[in-house]
Amino acid sequence: MATTTEGSSRLPVQVQKPTPYTFDLGLLLAQDPNPLQLSTASQLEEDLAATARDGAQALINQLLSTCPITSTPSGVLLSLPAIESRIPREKPLPTPAAQTTWQKFAAKKGIKPKSAATRQNLQYNPDTGEWEKKWGYKGANKAKDDQWIVEVDEKKEVDGDGGRGAGRRERRERVKRNERLMRRNERRGRKGGGN
Amino acid sequence: MLRQIKPRNARSKRALDKRAPKAVENPKTALFLRGSSCSQIAQDALSDLYQLRIPLAKKFTKKNEIHPFDDASSLEFFSEKNDASLLVFGSTSKKRPHAITLVRTFAYKVLDMLELYLDPESFRTLSQFKNKKCAVGLKPLLLFAGTPFESPVPNEYTLAKSFFTDFFKGEPADKVDVEGLQYIVSISARDSVDGEEAKPKIHLRVYLIKTKRSGQKLPRVEVEEMGPRMDFRVGRVKEADESVMKEALKKAKTNQERPKKNIETDIMGDKMGRIHLGKQDLKELQTRKMKGLKRSRDVLDSEDDEEMLDDAVSDEESVKKPRK
Repeated sequence: MATTTEGSSRLPVQVQKPTPYTFDLGLLLAQDPNPLQLSTASQLEEDLAATARDGAQALINQLLSTCPITSTPSGVLLSLPAIESRIPREKPLPTPAAQTTWQKFAAKKGIKPKSAATRQNLQYNPDTGEWEKKWGYKGANKAKDDQWIVEVDEKKEVDGDGGRGAGRRERRERVKRNERLMRRNERRGRKGGGN
Repeated sequence: MLRQIKPRNARSKRALDKRAPKAVENPKTALFLRGSSCSQIAQDALSDLYQLRIPLAKKFTKKNEIHPFDDASSLEFFSEKNDASLLVFGSTSKKRPHAITLVRTFAYKVLDMLELYLDPESFRTLSQFKNKKCAVGLKPLLLFAGTPFESPVPNEYTLAKSFFTDFFKGEPADKVDVEGLQYIVSISARDSVDGEEAKPKIHLRVYLIKTKRSGQKLPRVEVEEMGPRMDFRVGRVKEADESVMKEALKKAKTNQERPKKNIETDIMGDKMGRIHLGKQDLKELQTRKMKGLKRSRDVLDSEDDEEMLDDAVSDEESVKKPRK
């Protein structure tokens, strides 16, 4: 049985056992590893009550002395530490959602989602000091179309591709190519989501 | 097995999301069931345990033709249907009187089971103790007393400890009101004596906690039995599959920063770091520098010698030739 030691006038609050208690304060749990002291069968309830009292005293002492206490208008709160005991879960850990076909493809190609800045059809032109459109009517991508004099690109001129109108031609080709790819993707999608 | 439901509206989607696996789980619901024959004593025990477990509990009163250790598929069905992962099943038979089977499930499959036989003589219900009961839904303090619960090898008692911890855990809380520490569940078992056939009983007692001024900072604690009072003999056990248990004990990764390795602060508050240096190659060690020991000189010297030899030979030849 625990030996409680204190002055006679004061009620004893310390609990002393041969082996100390272990606590899991997150669960408000105390473990008394000492063998249960039972005297006789008729005394069972008293003995169990005494063990429980000692355990409760030790646990409350531990809680009040180690946990940070905050007093709020609603009451005095004890902050409990994290749970240490290993208790099985009831369901497995959630699996991360599967990637869509596009997400897989984008990850492989290293395609980043478009930012708001790339979507915005305005850019600052440091030469004129003004904001201009990137594409569309008076877009910056057409800036070189109406130059009054055009430098001849010698390499491209061999194929008959340099000179005036080259920029516009290139742009038209890019649009066509993109449309072609788009049609192909649609066809592929209709066939049933091949990678 | 229940059919897989695809939510058709927001309400059913919310309901499904509520029971979906989560990193931080909902508190476990306990489901109380009875078998086709269940003595009044076992029924009373079930309803008392239910009283202690409210509000995270459901209780069914219809008879179920279930024998958990023979075929647990019905229990798995109940578990999935009610999203309950703790089941308490009461039954009585001539061979197994007043049996209370504690069942835990993982992913709606039975994880482990423990059968406890209630001692009808010492059993007292909650209502047989004529005193004030504590409020519903309070977190109890828990005490496990006795060496059997400390066993290093898993046995019935460590399983019972795990079950009862799970059962009385309640809602997870990082803060508790001091006023809310009102009762303690004390579960104790005496040592097993060598040469004795019967295993020690598990005594479950619930006490109200009264605190008195002790004239010191800490209060003096007294206990008063609140009920129920149950003594169990340990019956059959189904232990968890090791791989399933390992899966069940996994913890979700948290965003909390892990303590950084190799960085310490000493008592003076100075930050100390330990760094790993690769293995030192003593051949590369720089010793005292001397002109004669220069490596480049080594190589050069030998080359020079050869050249000089060549020169010497050619010189000799060139010298000799005119002599011829």
